[in-house]
Amino acid sequence: MALPERARVVVALTHPDATLVEEERVVTLQKGVNHVDFSWRGVNIDPSTIQLQLLTHPDQIGFKSITTSYPPNENALVWEFSSPQAFEERVRISYILSGLTREVVYKAVADPDEKAMALRDYLRLRNNSGEDLAEAEINIGYGSGFKKSIAHEETLEMLSERVEGLPIKKTLNWDAATQPWQPEYEKNTIGLPLYYVLKNDKASKLGTHTLLRGKARIFIKTKEVADSGEAKAGDGVTFIGEDWATLTPIDREMKLFIGQSRDVKVTQLKVKSDRDNIRRNTGNAIVMWDLEEIYKVEIENFKKQAVNLTLVEHMPGYWKMIENSHSKEFKKKDAFTFEYNLLLPPETNGTNKTVVTFNLNRLNVQDNDPSSF
Amino acid sequence: MAVVALLGVSLPTAHARINVTTLPGRDTVQLTVYNSADLTMVKETRTLVLRKGLNRLEFSWANTLIDPTSVEFRALTHADEVDVLDVSFPPRVAETLEWRVHSEFAGEAQVEIRYFTSGISWAADYVAESARAEKAMALSGWVRVNNHSGEDYEDAQVRLVVGVVRLVEEIAKLANEERLKRAPAGAAAPVPMAAPAASRVRRALDEALAEAETRPHEIVKEEMSEYFLYTVEGRDTIPNGWSKRMPSFQATEVPVTSYYKFEKERWGDAVLRHYRFTNSVPSRLGQEPLPDGAVKAFRVASEDGLYQYVGATQVKYIPIKETVELELGNDPEVMIKPVLMDWQKMDIKFDQNGNVSGWTIKETWQFEVQNSKEIEVVLDIRRNFKGDWSLATEAAHEKVDANKVKFIVPLKPREKQTFAYELTTRNGVNVTR
Repeated sequence: MALPERARVVVALTHPDATLVEEERVVTLQKGVNHVDFSWRGVNIDPSTIQLQLLTHPDQIGFKSITTSYPPNENALVWEFSSPQAFEERVRISYILSGLTREVVYKAVADPDEKAMALRDYLRLRNNSGEDLAEAEINIGYGSGFKKSIAHEETLEMLSERVEGLPIKKTLNWDAATQPWQPEYEKNTIGLPLYYVLKNDKASKLGTHTLLRGKARIFIKTKEVADSGEAKAGDGVTFIGEDWATLTPIDREMKLFIGQSRDVKVTQLKVKSDRDNIRRNTGNAIVMWDLEEIYKVEIENFKKQAVNLTLVEHMPGYWKMIENSHSKEFKKKDAFTFEYNLLLPPETNGTNKTVVTFNLNRLNVQDNDPSSF
Repeated sequence: MAVVALLGVSLPTAHARINVTTLPGRDTVQLTVYNSADLTMVKETRTLVLRKGLNRLEFSWANTLIDPTSVEFRALTHADEVDVLDVSFPPRVAETLEWRVHSEFAGEAQVEIRYFTSGISWAADYVAESARAEKAMALSGWVRVNNHSGEDYEDAQVRLVVGVVRLVEEIAKLANEERLKRAPAGAAAPVPMAAPAASRVRRALDEALAEAETRPHEIVKEEMSEYFLYTVEGRDTIPNGWSKRMPSFQATEVPVTSYYKFEKERWGDAVLRHYRFTNSVPSRLGQEPLPDGAVKAFRVASEDGLYQYVGATQVKYIPIKETVELELGNDPEVMIKPVLMDWQKMDIKFDQNGNVSGWTIKETWQFEVQNSKEIEVVLDIRRNFKGDWSLATEAAHEKVDANKVKFIVPLKPREKQTFAYELTTRNGVNVTR
């Protein structure tokens, strides 16, 4: 007996690497031995995952009575079982199907002041499975699911979530390990990476599920000039950058690196580096010492707006902070990394610039210390 | 196709008058399939009409994977009166042997022919269906028999052996060697696995199915020596090229603990989900050792029993009462993030020459753990240390071995926690143990 048409199709896209299809069909069983053929052509079904469940009379046709035969060189199988009487049976067939993939796409439009944005999450389904899915219930692991038809070779994009007024923090990043310390020696103006930071929490109207990895495209509202020459605020949008959003569990931050800012200039200098507490061996060779270091970071904001800046410093080995001009903004990230999260007031440059200094002692330094830990 | 022909010979005249009779097929056939080696023992019974005196029996097995050195013959009826004098593999005749059998009586006798073949295999596989909360699962076991032996075994009794059997030579090699050695010069070597037309086999299968008994083919299990024998009840037809999957057991409400494991040295930053269960009677299993095989794990995710795919893995042979874990892959909904928050090099010692001879490293580690799932989870975090180390922490932990410590952290749905430990490692002359 060949299978009748599907009565229901459910596609589970909850697993990151595998798409599970469950389909239900109503078959008419005869009293006695039945064999039901299931075959596929041009579809990538993993045959080892195909399962049959009887939904209407599972007690009358026991688990132990179903055997499966696999013919040679054919994408097919035959189920055999005996039925105590003739009846209509709803069966559920499940299998892993390759070629049906999902991706998550984020599109966001930031307000002109860059304090909030409208975020839309889309689910993009690509069907290269060889199978046309009609009225399929699509489950992505959160939300209420969708019922959609998607043909073979069709790509279908659907809105899965929309959040208006999502608070964002715009911040620039200067990392001592990757940025030049003295930008005036550089040929080109140094751009600082620009991030939009959002939090996957209730306060941000999110926080119901883990945000999945996907491409985020960020736009900003712009004024459009009407034919009359008048500007209409917030009418148009301009693309300002994109990034891969990383998997973000609830209550954690998503940082999107979307571009560069060249209106903030950071100059870092090591203004003192003196050895102290020098220990020598009997041959008078130095075997260990401490190091007193003072760093000065000059920051100029040429913008008319205040701007957030994160300074990232890397300090390997054993060290202790002695003095620190911005202890409120200071945050130790790990044993060898600390940050300053600064708010630079508007137009603080020239004689008016922001200066961060820190003075630290590196202890028990040896020649053979590893360069990284 | 293995064929037995009876060559009636009247002796002692030098001019033998030979009657060749092709017999009706096998009366019964039993397949004992091993899963640790490419080996199947075939036992078939046939009914022969024997003459008094010398009988010559021809057995041929063209296009199969039978090991000729394994073929044996014995009479089941009139066993005292029937003697195998010798067996000959005639020259220039491929895939044939001839028994010379002396019989004291004339008439019908039932004989057993036994031989090894390669090309039939079986494997176990399992489907684990965990309940929503991942505290219990239904586990079903299946066996799948594959026939690529070149022979259609119809209405066979199938027995499956769980265990590791030793073979000093491969059966497939013996089967092929013999064929090549004995193939007449110039003759092409037969293709052992030439698949018969699928439609013909399908028809054969359908016929077999139509005659099949209506009761289920349950699998009867028995223990013998270091082996476990599964006998599939009833008779099955597995034509050449086909395979057949049969249910072996089903257990419901098997208690399971789902552990989310983290061990940097083994899996990097990934958190791996494991289902742990015991093959024991209190766990609704324990009736038999579970043969090694593939496992597919699903989680029942809705009221109407729809699945979520959890993962696939391979399970080792599980003796009765053993506790095992199914490793089911990374789960991004559980986060474990260790951060080294502080590092100190202290207690510096100098030798008589003023060189550094001892030092102690003190590390402070902080772990952020987060469960984004809607069910409770248990984390199993393992840390490996080296040298003369000691650990100070308020977090519950357990020493696994000299250099490994385990933290078990239960997390409620959507719960976050942090815990910390301080690791002190003494080096050089500071070493205390």
